[in-house]
Amino acid sequence: MATYILRRLIQAIPIVVGISLISFLIVYLTPGSPVDKFRTPRVSPQTIANLIHLYGLDQPLPIQFWNWFTHFWSFPWDNLAWGYSFTDGRPVRDKIFQRIPSTLLLMGTSLVVSLVIAIPIGILQAIKQYSWADRIITTFETIGYAMPTFWLGLILKQFFAVNLNWLPLNGQNTLGKQGDIPDMIMHLILPVTTLAVVSIAGWSRYMRASMLEVMRQDYVRTARAKGLPPSRVIGRHALRNAMIPIVTLLGLTIPSLLSGAAITETVFSWPGLGWLGVTSVGDRDYPVVLAVTMIGGMMVIIGNLLADVLYAVVDPRIHY
Amino acid sequence: MTETRGSNEALLEVKDLRTHFATADGLVKAVDGVSLRIRPGKTLGVVGESGCGKSITALSIMRLIERPGRVVSGSISFDGQDLIALPEDEMRDVRGNQISMIFQEPMTSLNPVYTCGDQIAEAVSRHSNVSKRAAMDRAVDMLSQVGIPDPKRRATEHPHQLSGGMRQRVMIAMALSTNPELLIADEPTTALDVTIQAQILELMKALREKNGMAIMLITHDLGVVAEMSDDVSVMYAGKIVEASDAITVFDKAHHPYTRGLLASIPRMGVKRERLEVIEGVVPNPLNLPKGCLFKRRCPYAMPICDNPPPLREVTPGHVSRCWLAPDGGKPELGEAPSAAEAEAAAKTLTVANP
Amino acid sequence: MASSETTRPGAVSPLGNADTDEIDLVAVQTYWQLVRRRFFRNKTAVIGLVLLSILIFSAIFFPWIGGDAWHMTNLSKGPNDPISITAPLGYDNLGINIFFRLMKALQTSLIIGFSAVLIIAVVGTTFGSISGYAGGWVDNLMMRIVDVVLSLPGFFLILMLVAFIGSVVAPMFVIIIAIGITGWTTAARLVRAEFLRLRESDFVQAAKALGASDSRIIIRHMVPSAMAPVLVAATLGIADAVSTEAALSFLGYGIRPPDASLGNMLTGAQDYFYRHPLWILYPGITLILVVLAASFLGDGLRDALDPRQKLEA
Repeated sequence: MATYILRRLIQAIPIVVGISLISFLIVYLTPGSPVDKFRTPRVSPQTIANLIHLYGLDQPLPIQFWNWFTHFWSFPWDNLAWGYSFTDGRPVRDKIFQRIPSTLLLMGTSLVVSLVIAIPIGILQAIKQYSWADRIITTFETIGYAMPTFWLGLILKQFFAVNLNWLPLNGQNTLGKQGDIPDMIMHLILPVTTLAVVSIAGWSRYMRASMLEVMRQDYVRTARAKGLPPSRVIGRHALRNAMIPIVTLLGLTIPSLLSGAAITETVFSWPGLGWLGVTSVGDRDYPVVLAVTMIGGMMVIIGNLLADVLYAVVDPRIHY
Repeated sequence: MTETRGSNEALLEVKDLRTHFATADGLVKAVDGVSLRIRPGKTLGVVGESGCGKSITALSIMRLIERPGRVVSGSISFDGQDLIALPEDEMRDVRGNQISMIFQEPMTSLNPVYTCGDQIAEAVSRHSNVSKRAAMDRAVDMLSQVGIPDPKRRATEHPHQLSGGMRQRVMIAMALSTNPELLIADEPTTALDVTIQAQILELMKALREKNGMAIMLITHDLGVVAEMSDDVSVMYAGKIVEASDAITVFDKAHHPYTRGLLASIPRMGVKRERLEVIEGVVPNPLNLPKGCLFKRRCPYAMPICDNPPPLREVTPGHVSRCWLAPDGGKPELGEAPSAAEAEAAAKTLTVANP
Repeated sequence: MASSETTRPGAVSPLGNADTDEIDLVAVQTYWQLVRRRFFRNKTAVIGLVLLSILIFSAIFFPWIGGDAWHMTNLSKGPNDPISITAPLGYDNLGINIFFRLMKALQTSLIIGFSAVLIIAVVGTTFGSISGYAGGWVDNLMMRIVDVVLSLPGFFLILMLVAFIGSVVAPMFVIIIAIGITGWTTAARLVRAEFLRLRESDFVQAAKALGASDSRIIIRHMVPSAMAPVLVAATLGIADAVSTEAALSFLGYGIRPPDASLGNMLTGAQDYFYRHPLWILYPGITLILVVLAASFLGDGLRDALDPRQKLEA
């Protein structure tokens, strides 16, 4: 297994290089220059020229890329590895690291909530396939899955926060109450609900399908033929097999833990990485944009690897 | 375990079993009036082509039929108990304990995520109050009884690490671990290589001797039937068409279907240019013929066959569902009686207790 | 024992097959007939098809008869004007006829959705078929490229492209291209899988033996077989593409006012939610309907094309 992981990581290197190239190229080829925002009448051409030189924008493309690329990977120890933000001059790494916990909190909570609710629902649906409960739940799932998250977020926000005033409007904490857990939980409710509705719809459908697939298998029939009670047939024989694809899917959802909530974060002004990414695109804050893209890409690679590793862990038939 | 009984009293008695499936395309009468009897310690071979309802019969006995299928009528009596009327939790005590079943596909019939030993021990623990340790010991013991070398190690392995033949042995070990009185074996050797087939059959014979258990052996392979069975029932399109002890069925087959099956076996030393076949195909269950279900393929078919033939006695202990006279000659009624005459005759000819 | 008068076992039954009251054989159907039959038996699939047709029709018909109504401001009319036949959803704060704006937005979203999916299908199929057919190092290299594209954070990349380039080039165009070039990977993989399977199949070997050229084999024989999963993926992709565009426009990138998009209608409606809550519902529900229709249709196609049958009443 260790050699497998190592092999995969090595295989990932060209992919990472590819991602870097593409991201960098997109930024580089964008019409306009990063220093355009500084071109006000008060700023002299000489200052502009100095800025261009300072940012290394007068160098050839491969050199620029190389500089950026090699610096990028020193981020574990170098705070300036990702450069300075164009909007507020702070080190990009600081800005990003500051946002990560918020995003993790939001995404992590909604993932846990979703799974805790979705998995039992999916199992229930599979056991009682075609019953009225199954059909009603399926209808909700279908609608929930089709709903745009931002629309739902808007409606929930307007309804609960504005009209009823039960829950706070946005942000992670009320001003001055940093670190206050109950307050944070209040702020967490709406965004998590928004994300969870769509998420639950997806996971429970998947669980239902997986369970149905497994319950058709011969070994479930064998378990029944042994005289085992239904709780054991379902709970031990069927479930264990049905969870295999769920677990691997879990690995694939890891990437979205950091980047998935961009829209919801924006709607609720949640200070997370996704919101930062969206605003930095609008601000043309290229160093931040690049860093966020790279993080997103690496999360995908890690997520894929994690999915494959988890697969081997839960399914004894697989080993590398 | 029950006390001994007279060896002619049935251990399992199925009477007029009907299991129907309500499919999107129509009602499929997979089992339509099947009766059979298994005596303690004896082996009944149930023979027929794919789709004739033999597996469904077995699953009906075990009450493992699921939607859209349903046992609509009939009685199943095991050891004096009516299995159909039994509450589900009591039926679970019978399943895997007094009646065990093994299936055709050893590849997929074992749970891939648990070890072989675990799966056998689970059956043991379910039906007896032994410790986990004792259950596992029994599992290992069963593995060695079915001829698996190095059983202790194998018990810790997962099914995918074993070959097909070994997996079937594990299934047998699992089924026999609770000392059942009746083993239902649904095509146990069909999915295996011929050489492995022979080994498994030998194994089953040996275990049968040892435990004195009855076997219901379902197969489409006449060779297997001949090797193992005391009694034989032949099924076609959901009905029993012939039943007797093995020797009678093989030597003195009455029903044209049985005779067709026997004739189609290639024989050594007999020169032929073409194999014997039974013309035609199995009828579409959604579009069954009127009267005898075999008439479209039967070389002796005549107008009387438009009426459902009775399950009649050919000789004591030998029944056949055919209009032909017991000696194989023309029906007593003639070849084309009226429908009313045929119906009346069928009633009188039908054996009361097949 | 059989009497000497009867024929030996194995001969054809003297009754022959002339009986007219029963037929043993079921009428044989071609593959596509079976597919069609399975599809139309599926209620949700039919609903999806009907719904999508209605939506497409609306997106063509209403903007056509409405003319400029979708962006013509008219300050004499406002939100407090009652609804009428010509303005079933009323007017917004600028006096624009909401219904016609909604239809125009629907049209924009559907155009983007279908065009993007078309690109995905074409690029994906081309890529996947070459990769699957060629095999060897060509296949390897192409699959590495797929890995790279797949690893890119899709939505974010589209956002970047649309924001950076969409300010200079027409946004609609950029959105379509952006969704297209980030989304073709799934289709490519599907096609490649089909090609790998078909490459060794008998009918392809037969075509080769007859001397057919490679391109002829690919285009005439293999692509049609591989199209089924692509069709399913494309249909489901419409739902995805439309959602993505809505999200982009909502955030302020993508389609901007005065152009109409389901997404930017939502942005606009945000500020008026308290007094005019319906304004948020109209574009949202329309969007949900598009996604539902495409999803039902896609799932229905998948089930119809899947050779595994289900046996339930």
